[in-house]
Amino acid sequence: MKMIMLLAAVFLIIIIIEAPKLIINKYWKELIAFLSLLSLAFALTALVIFDVDIPSPLEGIEYLIDDILGLSWDRK
Amino acid sequence: MKIEKGIIASSQLTFMIIGFIQASNLLLSFSSGIVSHDAWLAILIAMVLSIPFVLSYAALGREFPGKNLIQISDIIYGVYLGKIISVSYVFIFFALVCQNLRYFSDFLITFIFPETPIWAILIMLTFISAWAVRAGIEVIARCSFIIIAIASTIILATSLLLLPDMRFRNFLPILDVPLQDLIHGTHIIFSINYLEIVVFLMVIAFVNKPKQIKTSMVGGLILGGVSVLILEVRNTAVLGTVSEIVSSPSFVTARYISVAEVLTRMEMFVAIMLITTVFLKVSILYYAVVLGSAQIINLRSYVPLVIPIGISAISFSIILAGSSMEQIHSAIYTWPVFILPFQLFPVLSLFIVKIRKKFKKRWANKK
Repeated sequence: MKMIMLLAAVFLIIIIIEAPKLIINKYWKELIAFLSLLSLAFALTALVIFDVDIPSPLEGIEYLIDDILGLSWDRK
Repeated sequence: MKIEKGIIASSQLTFMIIGFIQASNLLLSFSSGIVSHDAWLAILIAMVLSIPFVLSYAALGREFPGKNLIQISDIIYGVYLGKIISVSYVFIFFALVCQNLRYFSDFLITFIFPETPIWAILIMLTFISAWAVRAGIEVIARCSFIIIAIASTIILATSLLLLPDMRFRNFLPILDVPLQDLIHGTHIIFSINYLEIVVFLMVIAFVNKPKQIKTSMVGGLILGGVSVLILEVRNTAVLGTVSEIVSSPSFVTARYISVAEVLTRMEMFVAIMLITTVFLKVSILYYAVVLGSAQIINLRSYVPLVIPIGISAISFSIILAGSSMEQIHSAIYTWPVFILPFQLFPVLSLFIVKIRKKFKKRWANKK
């Protein structure tokens, strides 16, 4: 729980630094993109912190190249 | 409104490409396990093979002056297909950022900071790159000269100091490996060390003299390639058959330096060279990701996207592989195959543009 509070604090600081400039300049679209990407980053970081077992994208690529297409250099 | 106001000189483009290729000398160990002491041959073949591709990238850049990869694919393939292509390129560049961050942090943890948790190194490297990216392409371009000056000096100095330890008998017999392994090794160097230059399609739009793009890109490729070749020759000559076992030959080679038992432990200089050049490489890739995603959703500024993408890159590089062995296995066997279509695709775009131009001229003549 401590870790997630710390993480939220870090993200809050980032919003406080970044958002006011966007609001003053009326960059609404940029603000939406910033906040949505930041929430995605928050979700990813929280998953890493809680040690959730996420399958690696490299395994997916290996499955695609090796098992579906059969193009891997591994076959002899 | 233009999203990036910076302009870079064509010489700075050359320096950036040299630094970009020098950064990948850490990745030479992927192929040296397969082609062993013939790695220099694979590097030479890959360099010659990649010249026409780089020329075609430059030609594509010249067909659309002032436009980068995202805008070019929008023009050639229309709005919807163009967007799909742009999104996949941005994902590829993002994956390259994560791969480079992860591999480099694993290297630092293995050789220099064994007790440090990986995210500490990842955060520091990403923070500096984010700083550079926020400042814009001009700042990265100006950094590049200093960085390659440092890196080239270190490469030359360590090679000269290692001359007494070199045994050129280590290269014999030449072409000892089977042909399939030589092709495999060449493919790895071709796609991982050289043709990651495809990211420069995002940068060459900002060059002030579009006419010189071709010479500066090929010049950068050849100079960077030669410096990588020098490193590989040095590693094989000093280490011999050991070079296929160790995971970072250039680092281990520098440990052999001993001038009158005073100048020793020079491997930290190699680490400095790697840190600076990897910073340059990660910044360029990171810049391409941020600029590309800002252009896909039509933003007026790319600066607000820098920090969220950086944080995602940090988490992704931790997720990317359980251990560095997993990543090395993927880099040797599947990643080169996966990334090759993205590197050949700009050539196809160039063909489409050329054919369209020809037919337009013919139709105009008939009328």
